[in-house]
Amino acid sequence: MKFRNRETGRLAENLAIEALKNKGYSILESNFSNRFGEIDIIARDKDILVFVEVKAKKGTDFGSPEEMINHQKLKRVQNMAAVYMKGQLKPCRIDVVAVVLSPSDDLLRLTHYENVFF
Amino acid sequence: MLVKIRSIANIGLETVPVDVEVDVASAGFPGFTIVGLASKAVEEARERVKTAIINSKLDFPPRKITVNLAPADLPKDGAAYDLPIAVGVLLASGQLTLPPDFDLTKSFFYGELSLDGALRPTKGILLLGLFAQKFTRGGTIFVPKPSAREASVVSGIKVIALDSLSQLVNHLLSKEKILPLTPSRVEENLEDAPVEFDLMEIAGQEQAKRALIIAAAGGHNLLMWGPPGTGKTMLSRALPGILPPLTHLEALEVTRIYSVSGMLSPGQALKFFRPFRSPHHGISNAGMIGGGSNPMPGEVSLAHLGVLFLDEMPEFTRSIIESLRQPMEDGTVEIVRAAGHVKYPASFTLIAAINPCPCGYLNHPKRECKCSEKQIIKYRHRISGPILDRIDLFVAVSAIDAEKLSVTTHTGANRISSKEAKLEVIKARQIQTRRFKAETRSLYTNSQMRNNDVKKYCFLTAEAENILKLAADRFDFSARSYFRLIKVARTIADLGSDEQVLPVHMAEALQYRQII
Repeated sequence: MKFRNRETGRLAENLAIEALKNKGYSILESNFSNRFGEIDIIARDKDILVFVEVKAKKGTDFGSPEEMINHQKLKRVQNMAAVYMKGQLKPCRIDVVAVVLSPSDDLLRLTHYENVFF
Repeated sequence: MLVKIRSIANIGLETVPVDVEVDVASAGFPGFTIVGLASKAVEEARERVKTAIINSKLDFPPRKITVNLAPADLPKDGAAYDLPIAVGVLLASGQLTLPPDFDLTKSFFYGELSLDGALRPTKGILLLGLFAQKFTRGGTIFVPKPSAREASVVSGIKVIALDSLSQLVNHLLSKEKILPLTPSRVEENLEDAPVEFDLMEIAGQEQAKRALIIAAAGGHNLLMWGPPGTGKTMLSRALPGILPPLTHLEALEVTRIYSVSGMLSPGQALKFFRPFRSPHHGISNAGMIGGGSNPMPGEVSLAHLGVLFLDEMPEFTRSIIESLRQPMEDGTVEIVRAAGHVKYPASFTLIAAINPCPCGYLNHPKRECKCSEKQIIKYRHRISGPILDRIDLFVAVSAIDAEKLSVTTHTGANRISSKEAKLEVIKARQIQTRRFKAETRSLYTNSQMRNNDVKKYCFLTAEAENILKLAADRFDFSARSYFRLIKVARTIADLGSDEQVLPVHMAEALQYRQII
């Protein structure tokens, strides 16, 4: 199942990249990672650097993807963002893209939340 | 959208309004936050409200929900905010629209939700009713059905008793209207206390029985003193049978205390009869006086306007007995904790039973006492002078002859039944009620009189005063016991329906003076 989850995640990330591109964001990096963690997508919205966490769910039997985002998860993204920025002071923010897929991998819903914090 | 739901917080017996502000934002990441100094129980309302809404076949909005309990600096505790929060979420998310004639500012919501959307019994509904009566004209309170009857004795408000959240939604959408509870009158709820023993069943001890009647009539503190097995406990257990019923005002006062402590059984409207509390001597200080971080009433307050019976009084720890001083003097108890201070009424009649020494047989006509002098002194020292000074009636309950106990000869010896005694007591109380009618503070009995009240209400004949003076010289009374004797004599006169305190009354009162 773990393997299938990763596949679902990849699919969702690609869908999210499409959606962000459609909104006029430029994609700088995807799957930026080191041994402390990972940022799914790093993009630029005009002058603002955007760190995007993508959360995907297949079906809603186990709750919505939004429920899986908590303070800890965002903290990890924040720490990774600090690593990426290497001490530069630039305007930036964290976004969340929630993706719900059907069992046959069709897109049911994609919601983009800007500037998420807990 | 933002909605404001009215609710309350009970701090001790004081009620303050709490506004439950619920905002369901149109944008932003979904979440559910409660702010406003919420305790753990209130924080957990998030999970209860969410699940209850879903299980009531309604939608829990996937939006950013913020709940503020105002005023923000007042600590909130308990699960009673579940209902206002749930109603707020449903209104703010647009699932529920109110009929045009509905006035949210005059409606109070209060109650704990269960996960299936049903409403659970909640503490302090009577206080909510009284608050709504005071601050709104023709207001409505929405409360859980199991506790709703408490508020039905409050006039001038509508009480909507709810089984579940979905029932409330149907009511507000006018699909299925719930009729307000019919107001119940205080008088019809009063009834006699269950009686364990009748005075008739107790062999001998005529003086103790008389003292019990005086104590019941005037609310005087009584100490019974005697060897084991002579009937001290039995006499005290017979007391509920001769206590007068609660009056209208008294019943409300007592029920308020039982309402905040959650000690009314589901569906009960009022505390029906005078409380009789008999705590075990292992009780803690907080249990006796009241306490906890959100201070709850203790035994002294639960015995308000009733009887606090301390069996084997010297077995209680000294600090607990000493802590009774303030409530015995003032009729209230003030509990101070880090969170704040609360005042509870604690005007009780103390009935104490003690043995003369640790083995119990000091001065017994037939048995030998095995205690050393030192032991006896130590035992006596457990009850301090100031406490003894606050006791109005002392009575020795001595060993009874076998002859009096025998079943065949018992007629004639036991003269008075509880029923007759109760009538006497009620008559004496009525005289007292008439006497103190003009008083504004809660003064119901002779024992609650202060010294200036004694001067105002107790008229001694010259002869009676003379007896008192002679006795005062001879026994060296403290100022308190001097006035106490007059109060006891006043009650004895009331039992005889005499306007003035006559020498006989004073002489009888002197029989119950301090003997240890």
